[in-house]
Amino acid sequence: MIREKKKTNWVLTIVLILGTVTVFFPLYMAIIIAFKKPSEMTNDVAGALAFPEEWSLDNFRQAMEVTNFWHSLGNSLLITLTTIGLAVLIHSIAGYVIGRGMAKRKSFRFIYLYIVSGMFVPFSILMMPLVKQTAQMGLGNRAGVILLYLVFYMPMNVMLYTGYMKNIPIALEEASNMDGASTWKTYWRIVFPMMKPMHATVAILTALGTWNDVMTPLVILSGTGHNTLPLAQLHFQTQFGTNYNLAFASYILALIPILIFYIICQKQILNGVANGAVKG
Amino acid sequence: MSNRKGKKAVRMIIGFAMVLAGLTGCSKGRTDGKIEVELVSYKPEAVEVFREIAERFNATHDDIHLTIDSPNEAITILKTRFIREDYPDIVGIGGDMTYSNFLDADLFMDISDLAEVAMVKQSYLDMDKELEFIPQEGIYALPYVANAAGILYNKDMFETYGWEIPETWDAFVALCEAIRECGIQPLYLGYKDTWTCLAPWNALAVGLTDSDICNQVNMGNTTFLEAYEEVAEKSKALLDYAEPNPYAYGYNDACTAFARGQSAMYPIGSYAIPQIKSVNPSMNIGSFTFPANEAKEDNVLNSGIDLQFCVMKNTKHKEAVYEVLRFLYEDETIQFYLERQGGIACKEGDFDIPEELEDMREYIEAGRMADYQDHHYPSEMSVDAMIQTFLLDENEDAVNTFLQRFDKAWKRYNRDLIRKVQQYQQETEGDQ
Amino acid sequence: MKKRMSNRDKTFWAVVIPVLALFFTFNTLPMIKGFIYSFTNYRGYGTYEYVGLRNYRDLFTDVRVGKSYLFTFKYALAGTVLVNVLSLIMALGLNSRIRFKSALRGIYFVPNIMGGLVIGYIFSFLFTYILPAVGNAFHIPFLQNSILGSAKYAWIGVLIVGVWQAVAMNTIIYVSGLQTVPQDVYEASRIDGAGRWKEFWKVTFPLLMPFVTINLVLSTKNFLMVFDQIMSLTKGGPAQSTESISFLIYKNGMDGGQFGFQSANAVIFFLVIVIISVFQMTVMNRREEQL
Repeated sequence: MIREKKKTNWVLTIVLILGTVTVFFPLYMAIIIAFKKPSEMTNDVAGALAFPEEWSLDNFRQAMEVTNFWHSLGNSLLITLTTIGLAVLIHSIAGYVIGRGMAKRKSFRFIYLYIVSGMFVPFSILMMPLVKQTAQMGLGNRAGVILLYLVFYMPMNVMLYTGYMKNIPIALEEASNMDGASTWKTYWRIVFPMMKPMHATVAILTALGTWNDVMTPLVILSGTGHNTLPLAQLHFQTQFGTNYNLAFASYILALIPILIFYIICQKQILNGVANGAVKG
Repeated sequence: MSNRKGKKAVRMIIGFAMVLAGLTGCSKGRTDGKIEVELVSYKPEAVEVFREIAERFNATHDDIHLTIDSPNEAITILKTRFIREDYPDIVGIGGDMTYSNFLDADLFMDISDLAEVAMVKQSYLDMDKELEFIPQEGIYALPYVANAAGILYNKDMFETYGWEIPETWDAFVALCEAIRECGIQPLYLGYKDTWTCLAPWNALAVGLTDSDICNQVNMGNTTFLEAYEEVAEKSKALLDYAEPNPYAYGYNDACTAFARGQSAMYPIGSYAIPQIKSVNPSMNIGSFTFPANEAKEDNVLNSGIDLQFCVMKNTKHKEAVYEVLRFLYEDETIQFYLERQGGIACKEGDFDIPEELEDMREYIEAGRMADYQDHHYPSEMSVDAMIQTFLLDENEDAVNTFLQRFDKAWKRYNRDLIRKVQQYQQETEGDQ
Repeated sequence: MKKRMSNRDKTFWAVVIPVLALFFTFNTLPMIKGFIYSFTNYRGYGTYEYVGLRNYRDLFTDVRVGKSYLFTFKYALAGTVLVNVLSLIMALGLNSRIRFKSALRGIYFVPNIMGGLVIGYIFSFLFTYILPAVGNAFHIPFLQNSILGSAKYAWIGVLIVGVWQAVAMNTIIYVSGLQTVPQDVYEASRIDGAGRWKEFWKVTFPLLMPFVTINLVLSTKNFLMVFDQIMSLTKGGPAQSTESISFLIYKNGMDGGQFGFQSANAVIFFLVIVIISVFQMTVMNRREEQL
């Protein structure tokens, strides 16, 4: 029995390794296109699959220039990181309060449903009024984008945190309260650290969403001179011509930071995603 | 206890507010006393040219500072900025439905007191007039550069095989047959991008229908079923000479294929030339007027305003804005723009016609030109997609189905406009 | 005791009220405004007038809108089923006794970290050039023409890309679900002599039910809201065969001048999504209880 358990299923391993082609092949295409020159782009298979004539970083250099890379990267990082930070702080405490409140009161149950139902609101109906509203409130800038993200991801994140609260025994808080600590203090000292796996999940899900988002910065930030990376990448897509090579070079440049972030958080997310999602 | 708790909460909220406040800092005011003029152009491909033009302007003007912005998705950006009530001073847009809509929304200023208006070729002023839903007093746009759409052809290939430029529809069909006999694909189409379906459509329509056909329909004088039958049939006839399944290939694919000599001709506008040359820089490209008719004299060149400048009604410094427009309209500036971007000047005068458009010269000089008809189609009606659907429809009565749908959809999408137009008609008739 | 509880309540409300205010201001309020616009002929800028229920009346007679709903439902149904079946199989594979387990899990998640638009551009290239060439080489007529160019099959191309990306997330959720199944349950069933197949349906699946629910609801919702893939692969074509509801709302509401009309469409769309999700959750919850 025990020996059987330890035996590796090699057939399955090999099948799964071969399966990664479905992930790597598109990536391979993106990478070789990023290195080619426009004149190397052909409409036939052999040419499309072939390596570039030379592995020159020229496209990347140009792409960085056109997208004003460091500035756009800075904005993207600023917006994504601030959003993550605030999401973890605000959504977690909201999730905690709603999760604990729900157990006792109908009103909190209602609040929970109200916020979570926001997940189903199509962005397109909000967009136009939001543009007007943020402008009137003086929020047609990066702060506005962050605020909007905090609201857009609130339903999902509150759902995750609320669900996770069921895994944290209330007895711990009660004990701490008995010792005379306030609810606020108990939360930050005891509950918040215990939600760590969920923080990682929330952080990565929020990061993926904000990092790749085009629409919100497009309608809120355009004209302010503060481009995010996806916004700057729009430079490559015009109706009358696309420079695929520069575009793909910039996609790859934009992929690197989030890939690094993913590799760092990978373990957390793979372990943590479902923790809260289940009993929501 | 609760006091401390409150303090901590307050501290957090202040911190939160500070982070946000730090990100809101973005004031546009100038400190050097110059008047700031902001121009937003919808042509991102011309960003370099405009950067240089702005530099030249700023080098010669001490009191005005000009910023030219050429963002991507400019029209979306402009619309969202209008919602935000954050207006630039000048917009550089095309002479199309967007212009009609912005004008109808009362966003532009009458510039008929600008001397430069008198220097514009009459045909382009007329084109702008036709774009007005409700005829307006005054002039609201300064046409800058026009483009032309017909058929691009591979000059070297034509020379090698001794093909002649066709001047009638029959000659065109015969030419396509001849090209095919040489084992070459006559046309390449990029119909996966639906908007490219409009290129041959427009080029045919200007030759086969009146230029104010849409207004005639709005007034209830005719239907598209009558007007567009031949256009539809000839659009479909092109498919016989194109690659199989053109709906699989986009604009870029078609440009690449044409650049690589996979077809002898490509029915698209002059705006495609830079993209084609990026693939094959040494290619010799020519362009001729679409021979839509049986008689050469009936053919009309499809040419529209590619770029024009409109002054926003809300601008605070009209004089500075006019100074900018005067500078942009100097022969030297226009010539500089044409050298870099190609196109046809809308100003009267002796400007170079790009080599690629040489075969269109007689039409340009005689003013035998008409605007793209899709400039009158509401974008939400998606005529391009309707044409694609029609081309894919292999039934006998596809033309009928399509044009009946066209008429029906037209009424539906233009209903507010048609009501306005007819109301206006009644009013003006009542006045008389 | 009583006093402390009320202190706790105070803290709770002190947290909930600002959060609710934020949510209301940037979600509910604009939605109400959108709802109001749905009774106008607003273009998005300029002047507008109220047209009563005209937009809603039009909505139910508009062939294009009707077609977009049909397409979206077809797409969401096929997508949800495919994604859940595939990711469950993947999760079972990734959770079994294989080598390089964590590396493989990491790799299979990668599609999820890329932007939908970028993925669309890459696949568009594959569909247009690589697949037809494969079809030609091996004489598979189905592949010889790019499926994105066919009004009949283009939706399958969009589906493949949508599924390719969505499987990553769902697999991870199922993997975590499988890890919550205690080993001794399996041991017990093995002693009972249950076969693999039976073991899965009798033991694993019921324990996975909560994960199935969440995956079904989320993937249905995401597939119903499909936008990026359409934008980058087909732009609604060919012959308007792949226009999803979100795409139509965006295209005609923002780019076109139909903001008022498409707001009405968005209101109906929102109701449809909520109804479907609530229905799913109710049915699944009942099943969970039964099992």
